[in-house]
Amino acid sequence: MKKFLALILSLVMALSLVACGGGDDPKDPENNDSKTVKVGLICIGDENDQGYTYNFIRGKEAATKALEEKGIKVDWVVKYNVKEDVKCEDANRELAEDGCQLIINNSFGFEEYMLKVAGDYPEIQFVGCTNQNSYGDTLKNTHNAFASIYEGRYLAGVVAGMKLQEMIDAGDLAADKAVIGYVGAYPYAEVKSGYTAYFLGAKSVCPSVTMKVKFVNSWSDATAEGNAASALCDEGCVLISQHSDNTTPATTAQSKGAFHTGYNNDMIDVAPESSLIGTRIDWSVYFTYIIEAVANGQEFDQDWCHGIDNGAVVLTKLNEKIAAPGTAEKLAEVEKAITDGTLHIFDTSKFTVNGAPVTTAFALDTNGDFVPDSEEVVYDGYFHESTVQSAPYFTLDIDGITLDQ
Amino acid sequence: MNHKKREPWIRLSKRDGMTSWKVWSIRIGSIFLALVLGGLVIAMTGVNPFKAYGTIISGSLGKASAIRQTVKIAIPLLGCALAIAPCFKMHFWNIGAEGQITAGAIAASYFALFWADRLPGPSLILVMGLVGAVAGGLWGLIPAFFKARWNTNETLFTLMMNYIVIGIVRWLQGGPWEGRAGSQIIPQFAPNACLPRVFGIHCGWIIVLVLVLLMHIYMTYTKHGYEIAVIGDSINTARYAGMNVGHVMMRTMFLSGAISGLVGFILVSGANGTLNDGVAGGVGFTAITVAWLSQLNAFGMVLISGMLAILEKGAETLQTRLAVPTSISDIITGILLFCMLGCEFFINFRMTFRARKAKKAAAETAADSDESPAKEAVES
Repeated sequence: MKKFLALILSLVMALSLVACGGGDDPKDPENNDSKTVKVGLICIGDENDQGYTYNFIRGKEAATKALEEKGIKVDWVVKYNVKEDVKCEDANRELAEDGCQLIINNSFGFEEYMLKVAGDYPEIQFVGCTNQNSYGDTLKNTHNAFASIYEGRYLAGVVAGMKLQEMIDAGDLAADKAVIGYVGAYPYAEVKSGYTAYFLGAKSVCPSVTMKVKFVNSWSDATAEGNAASALCDEGCVLISQHSDNTTPATTAQSKGAFHTGYNNDMIDVAPESSLIGTRIDWSVYFTYIIEAVANGQEFDQDWCHGIDNGAVVLTKLNEKIAAPGTAEKLAEVEKAITDGTLHIFDTSKFTVNGAPVTTAFALDTNGDFVPDSEEVVYDGYFHESTVQSAPYFTLDIDGITLDQ
Repeated sequence: MNHKKREPWIRLSKRDGMTSWKVWSIRIGSIFLALVLGGLVIAMTGVNPFKAYGTIISGSLGKASAIRQTVKIAIPLLGCALAIAPCFKMHFWNIGAEGQITAGAIAASYFALFWADRLPGPSLILVMGLVGAVAGGLWGLIPAFFKARWNTNETLFTLMMNYIVIGIVRWLQGGPWEGRAGSQIIPQFAPNACLPRVFGIHCGWIIVLVLVLLMHIYMTYTKHGYEIAVIGDSINTARYAGMNVGHVMMRTMFLSGAISGLVGFILVSGANGTLNDGVAGGVGFTAITVAWLSQLNAFGMVLISGMLAILEKGAETLQTRLAVPTSISDIITGILLFCMLGCEFFINFRMTFRARKAKKAAAETAADSDESPAKEAVES
C-alpha cells in the first residue's frame, strides 16, 4: 500500500517538475512588418523522396531567398506526407485557420479537396499545382499552375539522341537498334506529353531512333521502376529515361551498361557513368511571382504556365564526360529556337499517328466524360501544348513509340 | 515447503479483487506516465512539452472548426470499434475490418457513381448505406463460413481478405471507374450522393452514436449477445448448452462486417466524397486498439476513439504551429497506447520478486483480497 502511494506521489512530482519548465511563451514576431506573407504548402511526400516533393522544397527555399532580396519575408508552414483524401481537406482548412494568406497544394489529387475548402475562405488564395479545375471555376481565389516540362524533356531528348547518333556513327550500334526505353508512371496526359516530347527531341538528331514505354502504375515505386528499366534494357534498349520519382532507373541503366537521362533531380551522382543530363521544374519562379503578388495585395494569374523562357523549366548539369561532343552547343541552339518561337516541339510535320499527319485535336473536356471535345489546338503547323490551360493535354499515341502497359 | 529448487527472479501470479479505486488510479497513473515519457520525446525535438500538449488540446478542441475535424476523425474509429467488438467478445479475431470497410465503400460508390441521376436524393443515400452494409457483411461472412465449416484460421483469413479488396479498388480507380485518363482518381460524387451535414459535420456522427446504443443493447440484453459471450468464454460450454456455434459465428461476422461496411459508406459519402484505395486508411486496425482499450464496452469506445482523434488532430496542429514532425506524434500515441494496454497487465497479474520473503507475499495477497480498510491500515 505504501509503495503504491509512493509511486503515485513520485509520478505527480515528476509531472509537476516538467510543469515548472513550462510557461515561457515567446510572442511570435509577426505582423510588425507588413511585408511578411504567411504561406502554407501541402506536400504529398517529403524532401526525402529526392524527387517530386524535394523539387518543391528546393523551389520554396530558392523563392524565400529571392523574395528576401525584394524585402518580403515568407513565413512558411509546410505539411508533409498528406494523402489525397479527406486528410487534404483537413490540411487546407487547418492552414487557413492558422492564418495563411496563400495555400499551395503540390499534388494533382489534392485539388478536389482544396476546392471544398476554398469557398469558405474567399480572402485566402489557393493554388492547385499540376491540375486544371481551379482556374475556370466560379471561385476567384483558386488558381492552377504548371510548367512546360515537355520543353525540358525535348532538350533532354536531344542530348540522348546525340549520344545514340554518336554511337551509330562510330559503328558501335546499328541504326535500327537505337531504341530508347522509357519508364513512365501512368498513361496520363502529363506523362504522354513528356515522353512524346522526349522522343521527338531524340528523333530530331537521330532519325532512326524508336522508343519503348513501360508504365509502372505508380508515381513512386523504387523497385518497380528499377524492374521496368531492367526489363527495357533486356529487351534491347540502350538508353533509359523516366517519368517517375526514384533514381533506380538510373542505377539500373548503369549496371546494364545503358545510358540514362533523369527527371526532377540531378542523377549524375548516383549513376556517373550512365546519366547524361536531367530536367526539372524550378518552382521558385512561380512561388516568387505569386508570393510577391500577395505581399503587394495584387491579383495573380489564375492559370500559369511557363517553360525555359523564364527559367521555370531548367536542365540539370550536363555530364560532359560521357555526352556526345558538341552537345552543349546544340542545346544552347535548340533552347534559343524554342524561346524565340522558331522551333515548336509538337510540330505536326515531324510526327504521324497511324501513318498519317495530325490535323485536328482538342484540349478540353466540357461535358464531363473526360474525353477532350473543345478548343482546337492543332493549327499553324503544330500542336499547341499548354496554351489553352497550364496542365498538359497532349495524349496522342504517335508512331515510333511502342507502349507496353 | 521445500526451497531447494532455485526460485525464479520474478514470478507472475493472477490476481483478482483489486479495489476499483486502485485499478483506476493505476490506469490514470499509466496515462500520466505516458504523458511524461511523451514529454521527454517532445523535449528532444527542442519544443517545450507543455506548450506541445497545450497545442494538441487547443488544436483539436480550441475552435469550432477544430472540433468538427476531430469528430470527423473519431467517427470511423468509433463505428469500426463497434463492429469489431462482438467478434472479439466471441474470441473470433477479426482483423479484416479494413477490408470490410473497403467492400462497403465499393458497393456504396457504385450507386453513387452510376445511379445518382436515377434515384431521388434521400433514397440514393439509403440505398448506398444498405448495399454498403450488405457488401461489408458478405465480405466478413466468407472467413466466418470457412472457420465454421473447416475451422480455418480466421486471423490470417480476414487479414488476407483485406489485400484482395484493396486490390480491387486499385483496379477500379485505374480502370473502369477512373476519371481523367491515367489520373488514377475516381471523380467526386454528385452532391445528392453525399451525406448531409449536421452542425457542419457529415451526419455519420449521428449514425455511429445510434449504433453505440444499439450495440450496447445487443451485447447486454439480447439472446444473441449472450450466445456471443458464452462462445467467447468456452466453445465447449456453448456446444453443451446446445448452441450452434458455427451459425452464431457466421451471424456475428455478418453483423460485424455490415457495420464496417456502413463505416465504409460513411467514409466515401461523408468524408471523402469519392473512393480511393486508402479509404479505410488503417481505421480497421486502429479500431482494434479502441475496442480493446475500452474493454469492448460501447460507451468506453466513445471516449477512447475521441481521445485518439484528439491526438491525431492535435498532432496535425503540432506540426503546423510548432513544426514538430507528425512522426513524433505517432511515437507519443504509441507510448500512450503501450502504457494504457500495459497497465492492464499489472492490474491482472502480481509480480513476486525472489528476494521477497514468501511470508510477506502471502500477507500482501491477503491484504489485497481483503477489502476492509482496517486491515490495509495495519499492513501499511
